[in-house]
Amino acid sequence: MSEFLIHLATLAGIYALMSLGLSVQAGMSGLLNFGHIAFAGIGAYAAAIAAQAGWPAAAGIAAGMAGAALLGLAMARLGRQLGADYWGIATLALAEIVRLAATNEGWLTGGAQGISPVDSALAGLPGVWDSAGFLLCSAAGVAAGLCLARRIGGGRLGRALRLMREEPQLAACLGYDLTALKTRAMVLGACMTACGGALLAYYTRFVGPDYLTAAETFLIWTMVVLGGLGSHAGAVLGALLVQAIHAAVPFLRDALGAGSDVAGALRLGLVGLLLLACLLWRPQGLLPEKPGRVR
Amino acid sequence: MLQFVLDTLLRTADLALVALGLSMVYGLARFPNVAHVQYALVGAYAAYAVQAMGGNLAAGVLLSCLATGALAVLLGMAVFDRLLRAGPAYAMIGSLAVSMLLIALVLGLAGSAPRSYPLAIAAPMALGRARIAPLQLAAIAASAAIVGLYALMLFRSRLGRALRAIASNRALASACGLNVAACTAATHFLSGMLAAFGGAMLAMNTGAHVNLGNDLLLPVFAAAVLGGLGNPLGAVFGALLIAATETAFTSVNVGWLWGEPVGFLPVGYIGAASFAILLLALVLRPHGLFDREVRRV
Repeated sequence: MSEFLIHLATLAGIYALMSLGLSVQAGMSGLLNFGHIAFAGIGAYAAAIAAQAGWPAAAGIAAGMAGAALLGLAMARLGRQLGADYWGIATLALAEIVRLAATNEGWLTGGAQGISPVDSALAGLPGVWDSAGFLLCSAAGVAAGLCLARRIGGGRLGRALRLMREEPQLAACLGYDLTALKTRAMVLGACMTACGGALLAYYTRFVGPDYLTAAETFLIWTMVVLGGLGSHAGAVLGALLVQAIHAAVPFLRDALGAGSDVAGALRLGLVGLLLLACLLWRPQGLLPEKPGRVR
Repeated sequence: MLQFVLDTLLRTADLALVALGLSMVYGLARFPNVAHVQYALVGAYAAYAVQAMGGNLAAGVLLSCLATGALAVLLGMAVFDRLLRAGPAYAMIGSLAVSMLLIALVLGLAGSAPRSYPLAIAAPMALGRARIAPLQLAAIAASAAIVGLYALMLFRSRLGRALRAIASNRALASACGLNVAACTAATHFLSGMLAAFGGAMLAMNTGAHVNLGNDLLLPVFAAAVLGGLGNPLGAVFGALLIAATETAFTSVNVGWLWGEPVGFLPVGYIGAASFAILLLALVLRPHGLFDREVRRV
């Protein structure tokens, strides 16, 4: 049982890191990024390829962050002159192109089979220390991400980003360079997400194109919106909630005596229902952003 | 060459009606409805259900169109109108939730195994050197007729004039006595019907499967964005462009590029071709190809 809880907490932590990345982009800066999973995917693939080449985990994570930062830069530059809806769809298309490349460039990514095993120093530890080590890593990642996001949110950059979200024209009038602000938010979020993606690859010891579907992006959006757009602690809480639902579904299925199709439907349906209910009755999220506390 | 044209038209027929409805709703409600492609999924399965209960194809498609239209009106009034008060971003995220729910519903009720329509096997007709099945020809003709009827409705009827007025200035149209709520409901109904029809036609070829909506998501959005979101006939042209790209990508012999007699581009990248066109179009014309809106500086 404790092994199962550790697994759940580790996975929740990894997803919390990804949703923190989206929280910086969508919550704090108001960027409708629907290609978020591409950052996690690049992180995961970089980790896997680095592991195959025999690099240590830290180097793999760093390579993933660098790759994701480049993609974030490209997305922000692309967004210079697009309306928000159009930009959202462009990011969706970019993420899909990344997924197609991962599926088709078999020499680098292992094609549809993905890369397995993804080895790290942590995976070799004896007994329970293997999973406990990953739990510590993911908890440390979340703590670091949360601290970073809060620190940025409380500082000058965070105020500028929130101003861009609420009143972009006013921000431009006050002399803020909106493209530069967008770029910073995108790159920052991309790095956090790539770190989460790399941890996921090391933890599951596998990476494949299935990690990169648009449905995964929507899942991370659900986490952020559930917790409250703009609230970093909310993003972490949302990740925990969604992972808890996913973990509860197999028990529910066994209680109903249903098959795997129903389990898939339950997973999707429960998360969708929760998101819809949250939007209709508590649009500010479970842990709403507290404006005005920042000085 | 004729085969190329036929293949392109076939793919256009798949995409155009769904993209048309998406663009239409965007024009009135000002948010991209991600759940719209799932109406095609629901429509495909509803048409299958009617046929499984003993109806024929025409009855199945008709009933499924009506049911999906009603579903779209219901969702529009109960969910999207409420969320739109908080802003278009909330409505878009809400449409994500609705889309998850619709997939879950279909998955739970029908299972993940694909269902093919019980259609009689017909010999393909020969048009010169090209081959096409009679039902496919009927699908192309039906889509073309629907697009024509839609254009007639939009530009010649009172309802069409009201829709265009609301799309260009909602507050003014409302102040002039147009019933905005009724027109929005009518738009939702029409868009649901069109999506269901498109989904059923797609399922005629590929069978109804759970990923039908997800597979449509990007090509349909690409088509609608290419035409300029909110410009329904532009969306049809966008669908044509996407279909032509996809067909060219798979069927044009590019062996000369690397000095071989026969060579084709890697078929796995077929989706990437249309997205690349989309990105290119967005960089060059940020509001779609047929944007005529005047923006204040």
